Amino acid sequence: MPFTKESVEEIASLHEEPDWLRKRRREAFDVYERLDLPSKIDEEWRRVDFKGLKLDGFRSFEEPDGAAPGLPIEGAAGVLRQRGSAPGKVELDPELAAKGVVFLPLSQGAREHRDLVEKRLFSEVRADRDKFAAVHAALFSGGTLLYVPDFVEIEEPLVGQYWSSGGGAAVLPHTLIVAGKGAKFNYLDEFLSPSLDEPALTSGSAEIFLGEGAQVGYVALQKWGRHAYQFANQRVHVGKEATARLFNVTLGSRFAKVRVEANLQGPGGMAELKGIYFASEDQFFDFHTLQDHQVGQTTSDLLFKGALRGTSRTVYAGLIRIEKDSARSDAYQANRNLLLSKQAKAYSIPMLEIINNDVRCTHGATVGPIDAEHLFYLESRGIPKSVAQRMIVQGFFGEVADRIPFEQARRLVAEELEARLG
Amino acid sequence: MAVAPKISVGDDYREKYGFYDPEKFIFKAKKGLTEDVVREISWMKSEPEWMTKFRLRSLEIFRKKSMPNWGADLSHIDFENIFYFLRASEKQGKTWDEVPADVKRTFDRLGIPEAERKFLAGVSAQYESEVVYHSLHKELSDKGVIFLDTDSGLREHPELFKEYFGTVIPPADNKFSALNSAVWSGGSFIYVPKGVRVDIPLQAYFRINAENMGQFERTLIICDEGSFVHYIEGCTAPMYTTDSLHSAVVEIIVKKGARCRYTTIQNWSTNVYNLVTKRAVAYADATMEWVDGNLGSQVTMKYPSVYMMEPGAKGDVLSVAFAGKGQHQDAGAKMVHVAPNTTSTITSKSISKAGGRTTYRGLVKVYPQAENCKSFVKCDALLLDGESRSDTYPYNEVEAENVTLGHEATVSKVSDEQLFYLMSRGIPLAEAETMIVNGFIEPFTKELPLEYAVELNRLIQLEMEGSVG
Repeated sequence: MPFTKESVEEIASLHEEPDWLRKRRREAFDVYERLDLPSKIDEEWRRVDFKGLKLDGFRSFEEPDGAAPGLPIEGAAGVLRQRGSAPGKVELDPELAAKGVVFLPLSQGAREHRDLVEKRLFSEVRADRDKFAAVHAALFSGGTLLYVPDFVEIEEPLVGQYWSSGGGAAVLPHTLIVAGKGAKFNYLDEFLSPSLDEPALTSGSAEIFLGEGAQVGYVALQKWGRHAYQFANQRVHVGKEATARLFNVTLGSRFAKVRVEANLQGPGGMAELKGIYFASEDQFFDFHTLQDHQVGQTTSDLLFKGALRGTSRTVYAGLIRIEKDSARSDAYQANRNLLLSKQAKAYSIPMLEIINNDVRCTHGATVGPIDAEHLFYLESRGIPKSVAQRMIVQGFFGEVADRIPFEQARRLVAEELEARLG
Repeated sequence: MAVAPKISVGDDYREKYGFYDPEKFIFKAKKGLTEDVVREISWMKSEPEWMTKFRLRSLEIFRKKSMPNWGADLSHIDFENIFYFLRASEKQGKTWDEVPADVKRTFDRLGIPEAERKFLAGVSAQYESEVVYHSLHKELSDKGVIFLDTDSGLREHPELFKEYFGTVIPPADNKFSALNSAVWSGGSFIYVPKGVRVDIPLQAYFRINAENMGQFERTLIICDEGSFVHYIEGCTAPMYTTDSLHSAVVEIIVKKGARCRYTTIQNWSTNVYNLVTKRAVAYADATMEWVDGNLGSQVTMKYPSVYMMEPGAKGDVLSVAFAGKGQHQDAGAKMVHVAPNTTSTITSKSISKAGGRTTYRGLVKVYPQAENCKSFVKCDALLLDGESRSDTYPYNEVEAENVTLGHEATVSKVSDEQLFYLMSRGIPLAEAETMIVNGFIEPFTKELPLEYAVELNRLIQLEMEGSVG
């Protein structure tokens, strides 16, 4: 069944959504119908090739297959597992629940905590951004609501795990995180599916709101199967004195178009945007990042590092924007690409728009193969070439992987990279 | 290609009867752009038929092409309200009194001689440099160097001209190159023979005539194998003009082992839209260097480019932009690596002040067959106050193997520590700030001939006055 008004109603019913949310889905669907696919004339989409993608060829949701929920996770304070488009199952440390932490499937959250959800949902990741954002908002297949009240600190991470088991459908999870004043915690989103022949439409969007002085680490680990087309928007709203650490790891899917954005709205706010991507075979990844300094005395620091193999292609385009009144802001942006094959191609476009002089901004980008001298140095010490190459790539990612905000995610990412280098 | 209907009486008339009456057909300055205007420009210059056709074809392309949907705001250009061709005599209609006071003041402060001032202000079309030019001319022609205005180039060296003209920048390249191709006039035509090194910089300044610094100038430079030439366009002193659109095309061919340096110092008055297409092709082991300074104009869009066509070619762009009140300098560079083992560097320095906006917009493109290329881009921007703006848009498209590409940019203000250091040594704030700005653009000034460097420093000093406090 292609995307229709009926499918919007159907998915809303599946999740027993309240009327206001149903209405919001309908509005987003109108936007979806109104908007054209992005054109190549648009700079952002100029290098994006989604030929072969038929948006109306997907089923609008994935029937739960009844299999056991996903992989075990060690040492988590709370876990939400969702398979396909069925509402997720939550386990949460009862102590946290007692402290007022809300960790629910998004639709249940919308029913029970309208005050938290209604004004925030799709306010940062707007449905009218493009056709893909609109279809996500119209047909999102569930997701998470996490609310951590003021001054609550959570030691262990919370984990959302999304599993898509079949091709041919749209699986579009949405994460909504609200951090109260001074709240401190870490969150991991994992997106998983087997590789099938049939294409799938996936997302993995997140809206994260940080109250005054909050400190939040968010890691998105994307391992969709190689049949997936991913369109995701991850955006953080950083309040006064708050610190957000966003870490995007993109490994799966055939095609990924991801925006990672920091909206700095409070003085003293700080956003760290880090990313790792490892593309091989014919994968295509496109990252657009934004460091939007809407007020002064804000800091942002971005580092995206990628390695490319096979005939893969990646695009990185980042913008630092410093508004007129955003004095005493610091912004850094760097993108490094390591080409491990001769056919891989990396485009890197780091951009600045600065309208205030009392700032410090630097950005840098590099694209290149493994430095022959580094290789020579290691080989001259008797290390075989393949091992030396592996060491160099590990070292390359090490710089950024060390900045993953918490141990569990660090280990998980290290294992993934290890497996890909093997 | 549409063949333009032959309705021009002029061409025919001349061919048939061998004479014409200039009084009768003299071009009366008319606003707007029509086929007749283009045909008349060509006829006025007694151009060969291929050029007339080229112009007409370009006009058609100009009409079809849309305005760029990126870059500076060009919505205020009214193509119908522009004189596309003026004879020298008509240009001289202005008087010294019409020249704005601030332009005159700048001439004073820079210590520019009287005759030169009048030329720069557009009051006089002739600047008394004929003597200098003639002695230079002899020295050059002894070596076989051709250095003419482009119209004379077409007349005197038709074959050479036709071989290269429009090959680097075809009319269809962009809307403004099409416009220039349709109505071009003036500019320089330079040919440097094999192995000849031209030791002194060739300056358009020397070769002054009415069409020297026209609105739609067209420059063509050919450096034959192993030769060297340094060409300087423009000058540090402000160029006052009432024309609101300046749209030049510069084509350069640098053959095997040759080196060409092209220095521009653009200081148009701040009513001018300066939309220029500059491109060079560099062959094996050739070096092309653009040294590009943008100080004046209301809006500048200019991205000098180098196409490295054969192994060993090298491209180099060093640019400085200064944007004051109401100005937008949208400048940068394009490096296109077509062949393997080619290298390029771009160094861009920009200064924004009093609400001015500078934009670096650049492209490094490496084609699939161009292995082992290296490219490095560095952009530094200085914002002198809180109202000004700086943007950086570096596009990198690498499609080849084993390419090393780097990009770095910084944006900052004049650092308090530097100011403090200088002021603690008794240097007043304004002077200290000027020194820092001059130091910031030093990599650029040190590449200029001495007299230009001195003038540029003085000009920065002028621009900086009143910028503090």
